[in-house]
Amino acid sequence: MAEFFQLYVAPVAWIIGGILAITVPLLLGVAYLTFAERKVIGWIQLRRGPNVVGPFGLLQPIADGLKLFLKETVIPASANRIVFVLAPMITFILALIAWAVIPFGEGLVLADINVGVLYLFAISSLGVYGIIMAGWASNSKYAFLGALRSAAQMVSYEVSIGFVIITVLLAVGSLNLSDIVMAQNGGILHWHFLPLLPMFIVFFISALAETNRAPFDLPEAEAELVSGYNVEYSSMTFAMFFLGEYANMILMSGMTVVLFLGGWLPPFDMHPFTIIPGPIWFVLKIMAVLFLFLWVRATFPRYRYDQLMRLGWKVFLPLSLVFVVLTAGFLLVFDLLPVAGGGK
Amino acid sequence: MNSFVDLLISLPELFLVLTAMGMMVAGVYTSAGKAYTLISNAAVLSLFGAIGLVLFAKTGTTLAFNDLFINDGFAQYIKIILLLAAALVILIGDRAVRKIKIAHFEYPILIIFATIGMMLMVSANDLMSLYVGLELQSLALYVVAALNRDSLRSSEAGLKYFVLGALSSGMLLYGCSLIYGYAGTTSFTGLETAVAGASNISLGLLTGLVFLIVGLAFKVAAVPFHMWTPDVYEGAPTPVTAFFAAAPKVASMALFVRITMGPFQGMADQWQQIIIVLSILSMVLAALAAISQTNIKRLMAYSSIGHAGYALIGLGAGTKQGTTAILIYLAIYIVMVIGTFACILCMKRKGNSVEQINDLAGLGKSHPAIAAALLLFMFSMAGIPPLAGFFGKLYIFLAAIEAELYSLAVIGVLSSVVGSFYYLRIVKVMYFDNLSDELDSVTGKRISVIISLCALTILLFFLSPSLLVDSASTAASVLFEK
Amino acid sequence: MMVQAIAFYVFAGVTIASAAMVIGSRNPVHSVLFLILAFFNSAGLFVLMGAEFLAMTLVIVYVGAVAVLFLFVVMMLDINFVKLRQGFLQYLPIGGLIGLVLIVELLMVVSGWVVSPAGLKTAAINSQAIDGVSNTLALGRLIYTEYVYLFQASGLILLIAMLGAIVLTLRQREGVKRQRITDQLDRKPEDSVEIIDVKTGSGV
Repeated sequence: MAEFFQLYVAPVAWIIGGILAITVPLLLGVAYLTFAERKVIGWIQLRRGPNVVGPFGLLQPIADGLKLFLKETVIPASANRIVFVLAPMITFILALIAWAVIPFGEGLVLADINVGVLYLFAISSLGVYGIIMAGWASNSKYAFLGALRSAAQMVSYEVSIGFVIITVLLAVGSLNLSDIVMAQNGGILHWHFLPLLPMFIVFFISALAETNRAPFDLPEAEAELVSGYNVEYSSMTFAMFFLGEYANMILMSGMTVVLFLGGWLPPFDMHPFTIIPGPIWFVLKIMAVLFLFLWVRATFPRYRYDQLMRLGWKVFLPLSLVFVVLTAGFLLVFDLLPVAGGGK
Repeated sequence: MNSFVDLLISLPELFLVLTAMGMMVAGVYTSAGKAYTLISNAAVLSLFGAIGLVLFAKTGTTLAFNDLFINDGFAQYIKIILLLAAALVILIGDRAVRKIKIAHFEYPILIIFATIGMMLMVSANDLMSLYVGLELQSLALYVVAALNRDSLRSSEAGLKYFVLGALSSGMLLYGCSLIYGYAGTTSFTGLETAVAGASNISLGLLTGLVFLIVGLAFKVAAVPFHMWTPDVYEGAPTPVTAFFAAAPKVASMALFVRITMGPFQGMADQWQQIIIVLSILSMVLAALAAISQTNIKRLMAYSSIGHAGYALIGLGAGTKQGTTAILIYLAIYIVMVIGTFACILCMKRKGNSVEQINDLAGLGKSHPAIAAALLLFMFSMAGIPPLAGFFGKLYIFLAAIEAELYSLAVIGVLSSVVGSFYYLRIVKVMYFDNLSDELDSVTGKRISVIISLCALTILLFFLSPSLLVDSASTAASVLFEK
Repeated sequence: MMVQAIAFYVFAGVTIASAAMVIGSRNPVHSVLFLILAFFNSAGLFVLMGAEFLAMTLVIVYVGAVAVLFLFVVMMLDINFVKLRQGFLQYLPIGGLIGLVLIVELLMVVSGWVVSPAGLKTAAINSQAIDGVSNTLALGRLIYTEYVYLFQASGLILLIAMLGAIVLTLRQREGVKRQRITDQLDRKPEDSVEIIDVKTGSGV
């Protein structure tokens, strides 16, 4: 009995504890990201933003959540029921399981797998299914158009994201996310965003497109498609899309931080900064990137669809491709290639 | 440096790949009107350049790229045929390609890539490199078959070729995986020892070999795996059909020889039966089915099936003499086919191509020169002495008799007698039928030169057959000296 | 390990079941979704075998890219699948017969599974020791050294696929107005605005 406990129950309990420790703060973070979005955009547009529910409007996301929770779930009569219900679940679950490999601090990671980057890339490439399934199953023109746009957009930008990731991998020599962070050890000057600045920018913009955020939020372009792939959704099914979308935003910010901004490492490798624990730095950096997401949304008008595709295929793809070659050539010529197996 | 030597061994292929890529870039940056002319000329030049590289390459057997690639006299012999065929096809197709508006600059490039694929096939020394070469060839050919995208029949030809080609590739791959599973290696050298070393042939290896042969039989269009041939030959644009009839056939046949005479030599008793059945079926069915054809491209399709059957006799013999006979046959076949298709490409009425046999009526009076050339090619294909085609068949039948395959030789002779009927029918239509609407006069210097060269080769071959026979037997001996 | 065994049977079972559903389901979109499920579970099987790199590439390439395009095409096509299936029953006997023959052959082949000893020896020479090296590294070493020829040749195949797709589909239509971004960016006020002093009452 004791052996059984040791072999199965304890590890399972440990893993479940780990999952809860990630998802609960994550969902809270999502809730307050929506709040932050409304506040930040409010301030940028010289408004106040939500300020009625609770002190400074802090209870607003709770109230929103409650409202969605209590509403009736409507499934359109002509919808494909199973796929219709499955779609938001897929979006939501995918947004959560990607976090399994994100390192919050040294050793603070649920699954420290060898191919962490590929795992993240794989999961984020699956995100398109939730949307395309939703669009198809709704049996509605607007939803379908939104889904098609979104799918094409996500597939296009994934290509350049892939190449950007390769440039980072070239510099690190490992696909493990902790190794990638540790390769940036030694202060802000060693973070990847400086030597790979063009790729950092390409990655950030592609992340905007990948998460269907402004200025690339054509899938839900309110003016033309009412709300895109999720028009027919209501109540909890809608909430799951909503949560998934914002969780994806946080995830992409997390990826940006891990790949380019030194993960949990402090910006300066000296006394006052090293006191603050790694996870806090990590969260702070994610928040900074998230602020950029919101800032962009409040500042830029929406792209036209053909321009969006042009940017992805004719600008980012060649640029990132050239940069892969440049990086590899540079590392080879100056003999800086990382030793196979990890670390610099 | 070791890798540098590897590159040197595969220099002709490398040269073609690089020039083809260069042409792709050049084609994009040239204005649409001039691109085709520029690229097709460059393509012909680079193909001839590759022939030069093959000719002046070091003789003797050399392995490269971790034994995946082999360059020997056999491969060089076939490569020269292939490159020559590709260059001639681009040259004779020039006007027709412009006429049917498929003069995209990509066409010669695709032909080059298909040729590269065939060269890789011929130089394969491993099941994996075999497959990669085969796919490279097939993919390029699927595209050129459908090149005339405004024509429903061309698209249909491309699609049919693609579906059946994919099926055959699947079979071949399945065979390869079985062979790998049972022999434990994909390398030809390894397979040879595995086959020779085994006390009794395992059933799995045999099944794998059968699937491999089926896949290859699809590619050479041997009956009963020939169904795609007439439709694809008819539907594809005529210059492309000329290429189909010439190069891929030779390459696949060479691969056939390389595999059966190389790694699976030890299993000759097993595969010989299959080859003999394939050969008999191809010869008989082609001879009978061709009789009722009215479209000359379909007729050529059946004729090519028949020729595959004759070539397979040499393989069925399983001897060095048989292999030499195949190599001679293939070289002569290429000349006949290119010449015939050059004549077909000249068949035009008021600027539009015609391809019915009846359209040839009265050609003997209106265009005596071209009719004479076509007469030569048809007689040669029928195997009438003293033309080259006769010698091709002669060597094949001699090899069969030497190997004591008397019934095979007899069936071969009989079916070639039946087959000569449809070749002679064309001659009859040309010379004895009444003149219908007159065909346009031949335009283009290049095509006339090529036709006359082919016709002269066919006509004067008997003067010194040793030129070809010697090099063929040297090439064949490579496979047998171990 | 029991957990691994359970995981294997779950992944394998779902793979086979969803593969059957790919053929069996009435709705083509469902078929594609089941195909994706099958891919996904095969990736799980790869992970169980310790081939994590292959597993992730399978998901990225097949699920993330190929199947999306599949789904795209199937959703956009308006094919009457009921009509397409009408011939199915007609060809069922002969198809079934061929399938049966193949199965019998396979059983015969598998029952006689003998790997030649010489082959085993050659196989042993070729395989390197990969202990203590991550999957990605081991694959990379093989692909970029021993099999570089195949790698490059496969690259050529993909190049042709691209070339072919462009040749067969790209149409240069006449009279289409295209946006030229560089021209737009090059535009200066002098090119487009003219400032004229107009005398009062005279007009332009």
